[in-house]
Amino acid sequence: MPEPMIRLNRLTQSFDGMTAVDALSMDIAQGAIFGFLGHNGAGKTTTIQMLTTLARPASGTATVAGHDICNAPLEVRRRIGYVPENVRLYDTLTAAENLMFFARLSGVTAPQRRVNEVLELLDCTYLADKRVGGFSKGMRQRIGLAQAILHRPAVLFLDEPTSGLDPMGIKMLRDLVLRLNTEFGMTIFMNTHLISEIAKTCTSIAVLSHGKLVFHDRIEAVTARYGDDAALEELYLSLTPVGRLAEVA
Amino acid sequence: MEGVSSPNWLIAGQSARFVLRERTVSLLSLLFVVLVLISAWLGWSATSTVNRIYLDAAAFLQAAGQQVPTNPVLDISPLSLMRNMSVYVALIGALSAIVIGNRLIGLDRKAGVLPLIGIRPLGSNAYAVGKIAALTGLIVGLAAVAALVAVATFLVLPAVTITAAQWVQLAGFMAVTTLYMGIFGLIGLAAGAGARSETVGLLLPVTLWLTLTFILPQLTANLNPTAAINPISALATPPDTSFFHWAAIVLGPFSLTDAYKFASAGLLDYLPQGVTSPSFIPPVINLVLATGVAGAIAWRTLTRLSMTQGEYNV
Repeated sequence: MPEPMIRLNRLTQSFDGMTAVDALSMDIAQGAIFGFLGHNGAGKTTTIQMLTTLARPASGTATVAGHDICNAPLEVRRRIGYVPENVRLYDTLTAAENLMFFARLSGVTAPQRRVNEVLELLDCTYLADKRVGGFSKGMRQRIGLAQAILHRPAVLFLDEPTSGLDPMGIKMLRDLVLRLNTEFGMTIFMNTHLISEIAKTCTSIAVLSHGKLVFHDRIEAVTARYGDDAALEELYLSLTPVGRLAEVA
Repeated sequence: MEGVSSPNWLIAGQSARFVLRERTVSLLSLLFVVLVLISAWLGWSATSTVNRIYLDAAAFLQAAGQQVPTNPVLDISPLSLMRNMSVYVALIGALSAIVIGNRLIGLDRKAGVLPLIGIRPLGSNAYAVGKIAALTGLIVGLAAVAALVAVATFLVLPAVTITAAQWVQLAGFMAVTTLYMGIFGLIGLAAGAGARSETVGLLLPVTLWLTLTFILPQLTANLNPTAAINPISALATPPDTSFFHWAAIVLGPFSLTDAYKFASAGLLDYLPQGVTSPSFIPPVINLVLATGVAGAIAWRTLTRLSMTQGEYNV
């Protein structure tokens, strides 16, 4: 049995006495596209922040690509890419200038060549010399994805990647994620609200409710047991507080 | 050239480039350079005028068969030609330094790129080191322009001869000027990193600058606010009363503009005889200590800056 790419061991985070993530434990296999579902405020973003070493857990630990997030954060950072929910870049710089900066910070050798490669890979060479300030949400998302894969990470963290995108943008992003997974073997950890996307993209899913893990399984097992997208939605709603409220009503 | 550089230098270089693209920073820096040029011209013009009047008067006195006194221009040190520069440094130089320090961190916070920087494999202090290095580079650059203007002024003035010791004094003045602007740059950096909003991040150091430039000198040296824009009257001795005695002891170490002006006056040879700094700490040492304190505060705020919640609230 190969080592999981991401392993969470009672990972906990709290803010001002409120537990945001409560003793989260799970394994995510290498090469998986993992969909992390949950209501607003469930603790999905906080989990990503801990796994990407942006925030230190209150207790518990996790390993990403075999390295402990608390004891070896630099090793973890060398192996991960991260696309936040709202991709923010230097608006006064062009897309290529932004990417050059992040490529250099990531220690990419021959950064100019790599920036060109990534822009080509994501089919956005035409954006290279345009200032990011004038970009649409979809364009920003692409450049956000570009900055995350410049250093060829083993794991890519996406926080609500489809948020605010039109159907065309969502499809484009889905195709890119699938391509990065299949062609480059990247393990993808994706926070999302879109259940339909989970079924089309993910190989395993987990549901978080009030910081607690309430469901975790491979997508084949889920679809075999629950059937189509609508059934998946039913499952999600039954596991979250909104769903339980609907049941009571 | 493509290659891998140290993260500290990458952050420093990139931050400096971003800041120099900012219109406010460019305009303030340009204004500082223009005022430095004006201060040099004022010194040259005042000296030339006195010299011309002296030459006319000497010719008249000689024709009248009277004794010609010595040229007053020769009685003063040529370095004092640059005395106005200390005023412009205290006013626009310090303000430019605040804006530079603030924008160095404010641009990242406003852009919201801290999480994207935070996940890069940089050392825990690389960001702080890079920002302080960028600030140092920009302040030294600004001071270097002022030094260049001063050196050029002395080299082009035909009647002025600077001795080796005076060149050293001039270098000392430029070092003190760099320190003084550096203090305000570090305060700007610290406020930019620590404040929750962009407005507060800029208002806080500007208020401190106003206090240090216009209010504290009134308490430690009995100066009117308008005297702060004059290099000579700013060095007036405070009345010998117990209030000023205690004010100098308590507030003297914080009266940085006074310290800078006394240090400048000493180095540029225009400190009137018998006049000394009201503070019990020698001016240059005071400035060095203030730089250390400002540096420590900037370091603390920068290393504690949250890469997840670093964006401005408003």
